[in-house]
Amino acid sequence: MGLISFLKKLTARSEFGPFVLLVVEFIVFTALEPKFVSVTNISNLLAFTPELGIIALGMTMLMTSGEFDLSVGSVFGFAAVVMWTLYNESVTPFGVACLIALALAVVVGFANGWFVTILKIPSFLVTLGMMLVVRGSALYLTDGFPQRIWKTDNLLTRLIAGDFCIGGIRIHATVLWFILIAAILGYVLTQAKLGNWILAVGGNSVSALARGVRVGRTKIMLFMLTSVLAAFAGIASSIRVQTANPNSGTGYELEVIAMVVIGGTALTGGRGTIIGTILGVLILRSMRNGIVMIGVPGLAYNIFIGAIILGMMALHSSLERRHHRGT
Amino acid sequence: MTVTNELVRMEHINKCFGLVQALNDVSVMVHRQEIVGLLGDNGAGKSTLIKILSGALTADSGTIHMNGSEVHIRNPVDAIDHGIETIYQDSALVTQLSIARNLFLGREPLVGPHFLNRMDQEAMNALSRELLKQVGITKDISPTTPISSLSGGERQAVAIARALHFKSELIILDEPTNNLGVEETQAVLRFIRNARDSGSSCIFIAHNIYHVFQVVDRIVVLRRGRKVADDIDPKQTTIEDVERVITGLNNHAGPHRAWEDGECGDADDA
Repeated sequence: MGLISFLKKLTARSEFGPFVLLVVEFIVFTALEPKFVSVTNISNLLAFTPELGIIALGMTMLMTSGEFDLSVGSVFGFAAVVMWTLYNESVTPFGVACLIALALAVVVGFANGWFVTILKIPSFLVTLGMMLVVRGSALYLTDGFPQRIWKTDNLLTRLIAGDFCIGGIRIHATVLWFILIAAILGYVLTQAKLGNWILAVGGNSVSALARGVRVGRTKIMLFMLTSVLAAFAGIASSIRVQTANPNSGTGYELEVIAMVVIGGTALTGGRGTIIGTILGVLILRSMRNGIVMIGVPGLAYNIFIGAIILGMMALHSSLERRHHRGT
Repeated sequence: MTVTNELVRMEHINKCFGLVQALNDVSVMVHRQEIVGLLGDNGAGKSTLIKILSGALTADSGTIHMNGSEVHIRNPVDAIDHGIETIYQDSALVTQLSIARNLFLGREPLVGPHFLNRMDQEAMNALSRELLKQVGITKDISPTTPISSLSGGERQAVAIARALHFKSELIILDEPTNNLGVEETQAVLRFIRNARDSGSSCIFIAHNIYHVFQVVDRIVVLRRGRKVADDIDPKQTTIEDVERVITGLNNHAGPHRAWEDGECGDADDA
């Protein structure tokens, strides 16, 4: 009896669907290509995954509050370009360049939030505009050419994107950052007062406002958080690959939103899960990786991603209907 | 009535929407532990009056006194701070959140170091259980149940429980029985009586006069933005009489008077 009710509770969680999908994915890929779980491949998987994952964590919080941000991919590319330009031209030391890049991302996030909450323009339009503005700035700043990066190795770069090996698996510092940020944001969303406000703002902003919740401030703060996390991911990525391309991050916004919704966070707000997002990130990244490994042409990747998104949305909506009858 | 028994006094409230005078020099008073029924036909100004009291609108002129001292209500938060809670027909709850999270939204009890900002979810759940019992929900509903799984009556009960817990002195119920079944309506009426017994006053607005008659101590009637009656005792009147006051077809309210159609701006000059 106890076991049954435990299982019932487990399957009722919105994270259960994505969890099963991830397990199935691993089983299928491993069965078809044992190298999928090889040390080299796991190392590869863990190099790039947390960079997108960090953006997805911020996006989860923002989407729970009922908004989303299409400018994250541009900020990802822009922040790295700004930092390396300042550093390469010897305008500022590395640490300062890094801080300026992050600060600019905060400004971008604030502008997004201001347009959405004060001028009441839908976040789709605001962040679409911001996506072009930021991408354009990155291209203009660099004349469209990738920034050369002189081999830089200091405490900060190692802290942000250094790596070490455990049992042959190469672990990047970004993995630890991802875990740390996920833990903090997961705590905020489920335990803290702020999390309750974020959920309420996304669920019914009119009632939240009537209860004294600072709706506008909460949303602006989350736009800033999302933007700064995207910038951090971009900086970390540029250090790892030793290049800063003004075009990098193109298309990430949609991939990140896909990861978040696959995990069970509602696009319309009011429901959000960090654990789900972690699963969503792993599902999409290991899908991309696994498909190539088992020999499916890489160009077919999007077919699978699209199918997963549609399937997961169908699952989440049917679960929603089963568990919350009425309205 | 003694002065100390007075909870809210709205005096000489005027409100215009363009050229339409929604409220014309309306004064209403509510005693402690009193349920006042606010009646009137469509467009009589009931909603405007309670929106002013709950902070959704501000009056063009007039004063509001709570417990004898003047208060300024500019927004819903001001109203809540002054102990005025409004329950609308859709309850204004966040349907995705649990009962406990809704009850304490905006005033979450915290536990542990301040910077962690952690909600005391145990206390929230325990208090919620207590409150649900208090408003008369005997069914065993977990405080972690999302509002979306509750029936309309249960949602109203949660809204009333929230008003009770935060020691709202005045609970405004705007059509709380709309879209509810017979049994749920009875439950809501019972919650209203319980709220009075726990020390709150209520202003009850409903289209259905039968519901009003079942619970209120006194009936106030608005017609075309003016108060036309405010001391009708439901125990000593019939529903038909009250209906006549509402529509203005009774004799002792006098014939139709010119000032009732007074236009905005010049109504106060006399």
